Amino acid sequence: MIKPELKDFLQSEETKIIKGNVAAAYAAKSARVQVISAYPITPQTTVVEKLSEFVDGGLMPGTQYIKVESEHSVLASLVGASMAGTRTFTATSGQGLFYMYEMVHWTAGVRLPIVMAIASRGPAPPWNIWADFTDVISCRDTGWMSAFCANHQEIYDEILMSYKVCEDYDVLLPKFVAYGGFILSHTSKPVIIEDQDKVDNFLPPLPDEKGWPHIWIDPNRPLMHGNLIMPSGFYSEFRMIIHDALIKSQEKIKAVAKEFEKTFGRSYGNGLIQEYKMDDADVAMLNYGDLALQMEEAVDAVRDEGYKVGMVKLRHFRPFPVKDIVEISKKVKVLGVMDRATAFGSQTGGPVSSEVKTALHGTKGTAMVFPMINGIGGREVTLEQQKEQLKILIKINETGELPEDLLYGTLWHGKLEVD
Amino acid sequence: MKDNGIIEITFHGRGGQTAITASQLLAECAFEKGFKDTIAIPIIGAERRGAPIQAFTKISENKMIRTYDSVNNPDYILIFDTSLLEIPNIKDSIKEGVTLIVDSVNPLNKAKLPKNIKIYIVDATGICIKRGFMHSSGPILNIPMLGAFGKVTGYYDLKTMEKVFKKEFGEERLEKNMNVAQDAYESVKEV
Repeated sequence: MIKPELKDFLQSEETKIIKGNVAAAYAAKSARVQVISAYPITPQTTVVEKLSEFVDGGLMPGTQYIKVESEHSVLASLVGASMAGTRTFTATSGQGLFYMYEMVHWTAGVRLPIVMAIASRGPAPPWNIWADFTDVISCRDTGWMSAFCANHQEIYDEILMSYKVCEDYDVLLPKFVAYGGFILSHTSKPVIIEDQDKVDNFLPPLPDEKGWPHIWIDPNRPLMHGNLIMPSGFYSEFRMIIHDALIKSQEKIKAVAKEFEKTFGRSYGNGLIQEYKMDDADVAMLNYGDLALQMEEAVDAVRDEGYKVGMVKLRHFRPFPVKDIVEISKKVKVLGVMDRATAFGSQTGGPVSSEVKTALHGTKGTAMVFPMINGIGGREVTLEQQKEQLKILIKINETGELPEDLLYGTLWHGKLEVD
Repeated sequence: MKDNGIIEITFHGRGGQTAITASQLLAECAFEKGFKDTIAIPIIGAERRGAPIQAFTKISENKMIRTYDSVNNPDYILIFDTSLLEIPNIKDSIKEGVTLIVDSVNPLNKAKLPKNIKIYIVDATGICIKRGFMHSSGPILNIPMLGAFGKVTGYYDLKTMEKVFKKEFGEERLEKNMNVAQDAYESVKEV
């Protein structure tokens, strides 16, 4: 069951009905971030608007709020602020993320624990401002970690967990916390805002004047930043340790999710994936983001009709939980992988399907993976459609037959009916 | 109410008539009154003053709401502007069994609507003009419409609204909001 459950609301005094974006802003406030750099873009705008209200209203004493002229400058200024040894936050979306792309690589290269909320939107053209995870997924190879959120509470919770993971000295990498534009960013649901003392105890202390262990800006400890390195220098080794840290971050993510559950009572599976009714399932769907929550409802409805179906919610795209994917794919016979993102030219489905197929390559006794794509550019995916998706998997399992209208082996939902 | 215990409400307004804020405030009122879960879903595109705007709220007494999809068979429809009833999509969305709450002085032409529906009218625009409850592009219709909805459904009362408005708009503007809400609460009538 994706948290929060009903009893969590009843126990909380601090439940607010807020937009997903506002939940992200509250998380940054709860995490006592020291520097925020902001440039608005739809559908992220209300994150930085809310934070400017907090700062202006004196609710975030000591926080520096920097207004800059572009997304590139957003991340450039945060790189500087983080190098100086501060906890930093920003948010963006789609085109804004693409505009800061140079600095996205830079942030991971300098190993800075910056957390960025992404109200994911479809890349232009044509202009699109609605849910589509292609934006964050296209930063796959930058060294950033990336998480998807299924509901409003998870946005708040995941941002808190992210600071704890990112600032771990064995990790020291930045992280995206992505959620569907409008579908989460602009809808309002109850969100528990946790007690400040509890959050303070959960998170690592803010960096002291010495800053991070590996990099600093300090006249007393002169250090040269960002210089050229010859091919014979340690560039290659440096890339290897980023890769190593990203792989190892899996264990940290799991440990933090466990500690989060203990502290706040909300479980996010093992942190990397979350299973729903998988124990006796014949077929299962892997979803991420908001559609994972709605898929729970679809699973229940299809189970009421007598079919053993399950759902796996992917919480992290990077690090990709290879071991967990292998394990769950041994539990079922058909595993549908539903992407809300595109990977043009891929013949193994959307970006997550491709990862799943790669993860299972060479392993025996795993499920047949069936790639599917839906909800691109915010196209609505209804509960009824999700039930149908599960029934396609049931049919494949029963008859061994694939649907006819596949596009290079992938089922694309939401094709326009042309008269 | 649906089999799953979730009550679904659709809002039809025009840009500037504050229908989207209404969907959020309704979720807050229901939650304050003890509903266990709510979601307010605005349909947002390129907003312009006067353009048709849609929003939805789902409220649930006992169950978590796990869907994000828009509402196709609402239990209640709030119409902020009678001219919207001329738009085919909106007209067609009014199905049997639904309850309409309309900002209107005059009873609607029932011949154009399906049978087995309940219609309530409230002069929300008139109340706002009388009380001077306006913003730059006209009357702030969300508060009277919410007052009418509370009265019609009994899901929340004026006390609940007072608590929510206090939280949202502060003490200063409370009286103005409550006057408008109360006028609508008391004057909404079935036709």
